[in-house]
Amino acid sequence: MKSFRILLYTVPALIFLQSCGGNMIKKKTGDSTQSVTVDSTPKNQAAVIVVPKANTNLTVNSEQDLIGYWVGLFKPDTTENVILTGEQVAWDFSNKINISIDSISGDKIIGHSVVAGNVRPFKGTVSKDSGAWHVDAQEPGDDKYDGKFTFAIATGDSTLAGIWTANKKIRIPHRKYRLTKKIFKYDPAVKMDQSRYVDWTKKKTKHVIDKEADYNGYDESFFAASWDASKYNASTRLLTKEEVSNLKKGDIFVIRNAIYARHGYSFKNQQLRAYFDKQLWYIPISADVKNDFTEIEKKNIELLLRFEKNAKEYYDEFGRG
Amino acid sequence: MQAVKNLYFKRTGQVAWYAALLFFSYLMLLITLQYIPARRDAAFLLTKFDVVGMLHYRIAFFAHVYSAMFVLLAGIIQFSAAMRRRYPAQHRWAGRVYAYLIIFITGPAGFIMGIYGNGGWISQSAFCLLAVLWVIFTWKAVAAAIAGKMQAHKDWMYRSYALTLSAITLRFWKWLFVWLFQPRPMDVYHVVSWLGWVGNLLIAEVLIYYALKKKRNKRVERMLEAA
Repeated sequence: MKSFRILLYTVPALIFLQSCGGNMIKKKTGDSTQSVTVDSTPKNQAAVIVVPKANTNLTVNSEQDLIGYWVGLFKPDTTENVILTGEQVAWDFSNKINISIDSISGDKIIGHSVVAGNVRPFKGTVSKDSGAWHVDAQEPGDDKYDGKFTFAIATGDSTLAGIWTANKKIRIPHRKYRLTKKIFKYDPAVKMDQSRYVDWTKKKTKHVIDKEADYNGYDESFFAASWDASKYNASTRLLTKEEVSNLKKGDIFVIRNAIYARHGYSFKNQQLRAYFDKQLWYIPISADVKNDFTEIEKKNIELLLRFEKNAKEYYDEFGRG
Repeated sequence: MQAVKNLYFKRTGQVAWYAALLFFSYLMLLITLQYIPARRDAAFLLTKFDVVGMLHYRIAFFAHVYSAMFVLLAGIIQFSAAMRRRYPAQHRWAGRVYAYLIIFITGPAGFIMGIYGNGGWISQSAFCLLAVLWVIFTWKAVAAAIAGKMQAHKDWMYRSYALTLSAITLRFWKWLFVWLFQPRPMDVYHVVSWLGWVGNLLIAEVLIYYALKKKRNKRVERMLEAA
């Protein structure tokens, strides 16, 4: 009888513990040794891309001046809703594109484009009239997002302007662009400008007390990285454990991905793309930059990943870290 | 009527107290289980990569983590007067487990971990001082019990268990501050490394003070009655 009474108390107690405790300590799924996934590189990487011997003439006078990186925004040519965070436009579906003209022989032109983590070769024809070079080029067609470029580059100018039409029915089948010729040079010292990384897929609720505005309530805004994210440069020097251990998850994420951006990594992740596309120095050149990292960057990435994972798993839990 | 009401509040308070202890002990058990099997990169150790290579740190860490659960559990039943009256032998045995684990294993191990604590000197000094006081208070309580000084034994055990419970309160404060303000991780760590045990110790001192006052009042009453 006595043991029955004990059962009567303990069973509900255990069920209660099980259900409540789970909220304060998340169940860890999978192996904890597994590292946080980096914005992944596509598996079916298109044919080996030839990096053009960049012609340093930024104004086009001869045919050889066409060769090089043409960089700018790849904008929707259709009415597409923009993504808003409050009153601000977080993303208008534009992506920074790099149209690289790799070689020209006769009327044949070969190149590739880098946009939104997608590197695709193209082939086409080039013709010249009195005022400009005209290019019609076709992507291979074995990718869902392949299409056709039509653009012109005016003589004595440094802009490449044109349109792109998708082969298949995709959400944004027509795009337009006005690109300028740029030369990519890895610069570890390059800094983030004053824009902030915003993740419009995540909402946060933050308690705000503003004495001046006499406001005490909750701010339901979208997740944004803090100014810490642009304060630290993980390419120029080794970050210390003390510095990184006091950074929040979102800031670590941006600092780490800034290393990728400096090397011209083209981001698949929409939020990172929207953030880095705004940086004037940023030129997407590749979907895999892992081999380009310096020793400092490799060490920093390891350190940053460690604390990113720790913050992800333990920051808002009943526990220490 | 007043007496019945008082008893009711006392009972409710007791049930809430033991329910809370049980709940948080369960959470602590979940945390402990993250370290089984013992791995160098498990949970908290992920941020200790700079010291986890040292054998004495690893010994201290795992000794602390594995023994702490027994300390916490052994302490739960010790403060019940009914338990002490009815099962004095069990009280002594649980007390031995509690005290000797703290004095010889969990406390010294906590001190070594404190030396290498995250967050620089602010939290390192907090954790080292916590470990030293924990061992001293527990030892004082044992010595008082051996000497037969039961009031002193009680008082020192209040202090000792207040520090034991800092394992729970530290983590609770951290959870609460993050939930409320989303501070930077090390900023909150600095705060809770002190608040986690100083707060408990203050509460213990208040309890000891009021128990003493109550006792004095009773003695005065008895003296007045006698007179």
